[in-house]
Amino acid sequence: MSHTPDFNTRVAAALANPTLKVAIERTTGTARTKRAAAMAAWPEFPAARALGRDIKDHVIENLAHYLVEFEKNAVAAGTKVHWARSGEEACQIVVDICRKAKAKSVTRAKSMLGEEIGLPHALEAAGLERVETDLAEHIIQLAGDPPSHIVWPALHKTREQVAELFRAHHRDPGAMATVEAMVASARRQLREKFMAADVGISGANFLIADTGAVCTVTNEGNAELTTTPPRIHIVTAGIEKLVPSTAHAMAMLRLLVRSATGAELTQYTTFHNGPKRAEDRDGPDEFHVVLVDAGRTRMLNEGLAEMLRCIRCGACLNHCVVYRQIGGHAYGATYPGPMGSVLTPVLDGLEQAQDLPRACTLNGQCQEVCPVAIPLPTLLRGWREKSWQRGFEPATVRWALVLWRFMAMRPRLYEFAGNLGLRIMPLFSRGGWISRMPMAGGWTAHRDMPSPSGGTFLAQYRRRFKK
Amino acid sequence: MNDARTEILKAIGKVPGNPATIAAQAQRLRAGACRPDRVNGPADEVFIERLRSPGVAATAERVATMQDFPDAVRRYLAAHQLAPALALQPHPDLQALDWSGIATHEHIATDEPAAVGLALGGIAETGSLVFHSSSVSPTLFCFLPLHHIVAVRASQIWPWLEDYADAFAGCAQPRNVNLITGASGTTDIEGTLVRGAHGPGWLHAVLIGNA
Repeated sequence: MSHTPDFNTRVAAALANPTLKVAIERTTGTARTKRAAAMAAWPEFPAARALGRDIKDHVIENLAHYLVEFEKNAVAAGTKVHWARSGEEACQIVVDICRKAKAKSVTRAKSMLGEEIGLPHALEAAGLERVETDLAEHIIQLAGDPPSHIVWPALHKTREQVAELFRAHHRDPGAMATVEAMVASARRQLREKFMAADVGISGANFLIADTGAVCTVTNEGNAELTTTPPRIHIVTAGIEKLVPSTAHAMAMLRLLVRSATGAELTQYTTFHNGPKRAEDRDGPDEFHVVLVDAGRTRMLNEGLAEMLRCIRCGACLNHCVVYRQIGGHAYGATYPGPMGSVLTPVLDGLEQAQDLPRACTLNGQCQEVCPVAIPLPTLLRGWREKSWQRGFEPATVRWALVLWRFMAMRPRLYEFAGNLGLRIMPLFSRGGWISRMPMAGGWTAHRDMPSPSGGTFLAQYRRRFKK
Repeated sequence: MNDARTEILKAIGKVPGNPATIAAQAQRLRAGACRPDRVNGPADEVFIERLRSPGVAATAERVATMQDFPDAVRRYLAAHQLAPALALQPHPDLQALDWSGIATHEHIATDEPAAVGLALGGIAETGSLVFHSSSVSPTLFCFLPLHHIVAVRASQIWPWLEDYADAFAGCAQPRNVNLITGASGTTDIEGTLVRGAHGPGWLHAVLIGNA
C-alpha cells in the first residue's frame, strides 16, 4: 500500500474515532496479558531469545548459502521455485501462473508479504475472483479496509461492526447475537469456496533449507483448506524466512507463538513440501514458491540487517504506546507499529515515510518484548538521523534544533534562559497547573502542564552537590 | 527468472562460506537448556496432560489396545449425540478394526460431521498430534470434519518438538506434515477465543496402549 503524506491528519482522525481505542485495547490488552503469562511460565526466555537472535543472524550471514540449499531441496521435491526482485515482479509471476492454469478463482490464506507486495490488488486486476479465507482477512475484504495489525488484521472492528457486515454480505447469517454465531456464519459462507478454488495462495513463516519445505502456522484451519483442494498452491515468501533445519524452526516456533498470542503452539503447524505425490489422495498438482527480495538485500547492505530477524509476531505493536492510541491505519502502510516504522521507509522511501520513525517515544518496550531482540529504538533513531541528514525535517524543527544546540553549547546562556522560563511560566498557572500558554499549544491542547517549582536542574544539582 | 536469481544472490554481496563450517555453526545453534520446563515425566503421560490443558483444550482418554478404539469412538458419538456414521481415514490399521454399528465411508465430505483418524505419533511438549500425508493419510481428513477423533499409539510419543524433527532429519519428507494442537479456533473478533473456525470444532485423542 502506498504511504500518503498526511500522517498527522490520519492520527487526528484515529484519535477522534470513538470506538477505535476500545477495539484496539480489547485485542492488544488480551494479547499482552496472555504473553505475560506465557513468559512467566518460561524463565529460560532470555536464553531462548538469544538463541532465536543467533539463528536468524546466522541465516542472514549465510543467506546466499541457505537460499541455494533451499532451492535445491525444494526442486528435488517437485516444487517450482521462482525468484522476484520486486513486489511487482512477484505479483506478475503469481498472475502468470494463474493465467497459464486458466484459473478463475483464488483462495488466499493470510500473508503479510502478500499485502506488502500488493498481491490482492494484482489478482483482482487480473480478473480473478479473490477469496480471503482467514476470518480477519474475510472481514476486511467485506469492509474494503486494509489490515490494521499484522496478526489480527481486523482488530479495528468491533463485534457489532462485524455482525453488521456479515448480515449484509453472508448468504445465511443467522442471528449474529454472539461471536460464536459470527464465526459459524463465516464457516458456512467459505466452505464451498475452499473446495471450488483453482489456486490457493499462502505465505510462509519459515522456509526450511535442508528439506525445501515451507512452514506455516495458523489457528483456524483455513490455510490447509486453502492449500490442499486447489490444483495449484503458490507460496510467496520473503528471502529472510529461511532457517537451517526443521529443528531450528521448532526453536523459532516457541518464540513466535508465545510472543504473538501467548499460546505454546498454534493449532496448526504445517510443513508443505512439493506437489501431490503419485500415491497421495489429495494435494495440489503444482506447488510453486516465489522467493521475494523487495528491499531485503538493500536492508542487508544499508545497516538494517537486524530487522531481517523479524518473525512478524506483532508483540512490538501490542506493547507500543503509540500504536495502542492510533491503531494500524494511521501509519498508512502495510506494516504498522514499531516494526512497521522501521520497514516502511525501506519499502516506500524515507521522504514519504519520514513521520513514522518520529512517531515513537523511544520507551524501549518494543525491544524488550521482541523475541529476536531487534534493537527497534536504535533502528528508528537511525532513520531519524538519515532524515535529518537529508533535510526532510520541517524548517521550524531544524531552526529550533539549531537554536537549542547554540544554547546548549553555552551553559551560562542556557541557564539564564531556563531561569527566565521558570519566572514566566508561573504567570500562566492556575492552581499549580498550566492549561494554556503561548508556544505550548501542542502540549496543552491535550493535557495540562504542572507549574515548575524548585529551580532549574542545574540549580538543584548545585544545591545537592554542596551538601 | 534466472536474471532475478543471479541479481538477488549478487545483491546479497557475500561469497557463500564453506558448507561444512556453516553446518557446524548451525549445529551449535540448537535449543537445549533454554526450552520451557514442559517434559518432566514419561512422554505419554505429559502428552495426555498437555492435550487436556486449557491451552490445547482437547479431550483425551486411554485404552489398552487398538481393538478397544472402536468402542471409544462409539462412546464419543453417543456422548455428543452424533449419528453412528463417520468418515474413516483409509489406514489399514483402522480398516482392520470392528466398526459394527457404525456406518463408515472412505470419502470425506465438505461438511463431514465426524471423522476417525490414526496419527503417526504425538509430541509431549505441546500435546500435538503428528500427521504425514500419504495414501493412507489424506490431509483433508484432519480439516474437514466437525469432530475429529484420533487414535495415537503411546509408544509413538516424542518428548520434545526437536525429537520429532530429528526422527525424520535426512529422510524423504512427506508432501504435508501437520502438527495439530487442539481443535481449530480464532481470536479474530475482539480477541475472543472461539473454537471451531474452519477446521474441526472438537478434537478427541485416544491414546493406545502403554509406552
